[in-house]
Amino acid sequence: MSTGNILDFQHVSFAYHADRPILTDLSFTLQRGEFVALIGSNGAGKSTISRLCNGLLKPTLGTVLLDGRDTSKVPVSKLASSCGFLFQNPDRQICENSVYEEIAFSMRAQGWKEEDIAVRVEEELNRFDLKADWYPFERSRGERQRIALAGAIAAEPELLILDEPTTGLDYLECIRIMDYVTYLNREKQITVLMVSHDMELVLAYAKRVLVLCDGNLLGDGETREMMKQESLLKKARVLPPQIPELALRLGEGFEDVYTVDEMAEAVLGGAR
Amino acid sequence: MIEIKNLTFQYKKSDKPALRDVNLAIPDGDFVGIIGTSGAGKTTLALSMNGVIPHQIEGDYYGSVSVNGLDTVDTPTSKLCRIVGEVFQDIDSQMVSSVVEDEILFGMENFGVPHDEIGVRLERILADVGIEDLRHRRIASLSGGQKQKVAIAAILALEPDVIVLDEPTGELDPESSRQVFSLLRKMNREKGITVIVIEQKIMLLCEYVKHLLVLQDGVIRFDGPTREVIAHTDDFKQLGINIPRVTELYGRLSEKRDAGGRIPLDVEEAVAMVRGVMKR
Amino acid sequence: MNLLNYVEGSSFLHRCNPITKLAAAFLYGMACILCGSIVGELILIALMILIAGTAHLAGRAVRLTWRLLVLGLLMFLIQLFFVRTGDPLVVVGGFTLITKDGLVSALLLSLRVVATMLPLMLLFAITEISDLCNALVKSAHIPYRYAFIVTTAFRFVPILATEYHDIEDAQKSRGVDLDTKNIFRKIKLVVPLTVPLLVSSLKKVDSSAISAEMRGFAMRTGASGYKEYPFGMRDAVVFVFLAACIACSVLFLRGGMYLI
Repeated sequence: MSTGNILDFQHVSFAYHADRPILTDLSFTLQRGEFVALIGSNGAGKSTISRLCNGLLKPTLGTVLLDGRDTSKVPVSKLASSCGFLFQNPDRQICENSVYEEIAFSMRAQGWKEEDIAVRVEEELNRFDLKADWYPFERSRGERQRIALAGAIAAEPELLILDEPTTGLDYLECIRIMDYVTYLNREKQITVLMVSHDMELVLAYAKRVLVLCDGNLLGDGETREMMKQESLLKKARVLPPQIPELALRLGEGFEDVYTVDEMAEAVLGGAR
Repeated sequence: MIEIKNLTFQYKKSDKPALRDVNLAIPDGDFVGIIGTSGAGKTTLALSMNGVIPHQIEGDYYGSVSVNGLDTVDTPTSKLCRIVGEVFQDIDSQMVSSVVEDEILFGMENFGVPHDEIGVRLERILADVGIEDLRHRRIASLSGGQKQKVAIAAILALEPDVIVLDEPTGELDPESSRQVFSLLRKMNREKGITVIVIEQKIMLLCEYVKHLLVLQDGVIRFDGPTREVIAHTDDFKQLGINIPRVTELYGRLSEKRDAGGRIPLDVEEAVAMVRGVMKR
Repeated sequence: MNLLNYVEGSSFLHRCNPITKLAAAFLYGMACILCGSIVGELILIALMILIAGTAHLAGRAVRLTWRLLVLGLLMFLIQLFFVRTGDPLVVVGGFTLITKDGLVSALLLSLRVVATMLPLMLLFAITEISDLCNALVKSAHIPYRYAFIVTTAFRFVPILATEYHDIEDAQKSRGVDLDTKNIFRKIKLVVPLTVPLLVSSLKKVDSSAISAEMRGFAMRTGASGYKEYPFGMRDAVVFVFLAACIACSVLFLRGGMYLI
């Protein structure tokens, strides 16, 4: 596996209309194997960034490099081999009559051999607890989201983009999806870029956070570090997760507290 | 007042019931949250409160549902839906107009509200929901949160006693989600409207609703005041339902210390709880 | 799609009665059909663009004209080679390819198509479809059910367009080559693009129907509509103007086959 940056935004600006810029002069890089969350209120430009990553949108100014390839010069269908994309609504991609065909879809589109496809599909079916002959349209929302995720990573992309992956899912399904994403990140060194509103999810899973506000990168840093930046989060109209907020309110003695475990320890230790 | 007795319902194409022997009473003026994993029967329960089940959606139906004393099987939906209004899951497809004002007029026009009253009511609803500035806007140009407020206003225009909402914040960001719940609380407190809301975001529910209803596989597992229901932390875990971190913290602390008898539902209450533990 | 959506405004045209607008679009079209000269059609197109200008829609009118010219060109070519009367203009190897009559009538027909369609297209820019339907229910006593079907169809167009765009994005992200020139591959693309669209539109239509029903759709009568759509002086002006247009077409722009 090669090292270095999987994604490189160099002074990227984007606008549909020249007088209404959506992103202005944005620069950041993602290194291979990172788990990064992109947060910000609605309309901050999160979806735009995720669509710039795999070439669905092309920058108005600046350059986006995906795995060293300029997204403005390579068609999206070719970039797909480097980047899997899980959208919030699985129904927009599911189009085949069986789960098998659905998972195989992206590999077929990218010209994989049938025997390799069979191996990969089998692997994904087992891991996601799915059946090859299920009729995807009649499965539950959570199952459809799992089918979509299996399809997105089947062709072994190096970067996985998750756009609000847990919208409309119950907690159980949410955990299942996120645990699998964590496995991919840790064991297969797949880089993850997750767009999410759910700060508890971000705190629990992401290692690094990009805070976006009105098309500008307001903050970029280690997740825990960012959760303490009260004024920055407020400016980005993002609500901090409960425990870090509790820690901030309690003040002295709770500076390094982010999880329930840590909070319990701090309280019991402090009260001793 | 909604009263459900021994309700069992099975969709036509399904092989098992979506609701099983449900018994429930929701008094006037309540603010109820319904939570449960997908497929637990939340939407089915909501649809049986306004007669969509069994009138529009057919299936095997046992037991009874009565709304203000009217049995939903014997009462036409056109009458029921003026008592129990419902905001559906998909925001876009439930809109019938392209302009905000028309959307709110739709129901009033249909039910033949006298024309001199329509204008007055329209202005009042816009003010109550706080969307006077959106009156002449096109719905397609609104944000998700604004659309949801319009959908709620369109239902409130029928002056129902009860409003049922199916995951109203599903596609909204945290800020707009809170605005929607604040609006619901305002309607509940000031107008005495009974609010029943299906929601996956447990933290919002804990902060806003008075009663919590937990469904699993078509059966009501818990039904009671929010603070009492949320106390079943271990059961929630087993049911696959999230609980707020501060509530989880309370559980952790009370294993070792006296954390006081009051489970915190939000950060505010948690601050007091922690300070209490540390003083003792 | 952008060339057909409603544009908000408060111009003279915007404030006309919706029924007047509909009738005006048809009457103007009639003037274009009655007009029998090439110059006449050009005048009518130019006049329509000027009229659109009073509603700040000149830009759109020009773009629409441009688009319609494609359709016009098609009509032009068909007519050009089908009309066999008149003096030969282009002769290839003893076979008369184009005649003078053919050229003139082709030019006239194609311009007439453009001129007739233009006001109908511009109607959408100045008329809220729901207003038009409400007015038709009130004044023309069209059953509400039909009017509602029409408004709903129009309302769903942008919703489904957005949905389609998102589906395209999702499929492109999976490596589907939507820009392929290969016709056989293009045919294969129908499945990933239309199946999700079909699934989601069926769901949307279903929930739309229940939602409308739960807000008393079935109880509606012709008199239920709250908004009134009165006819005023403005509308009278429009009808007088159109009568003049038609009169001009018939009297001065008959022209016969040749130019003016």
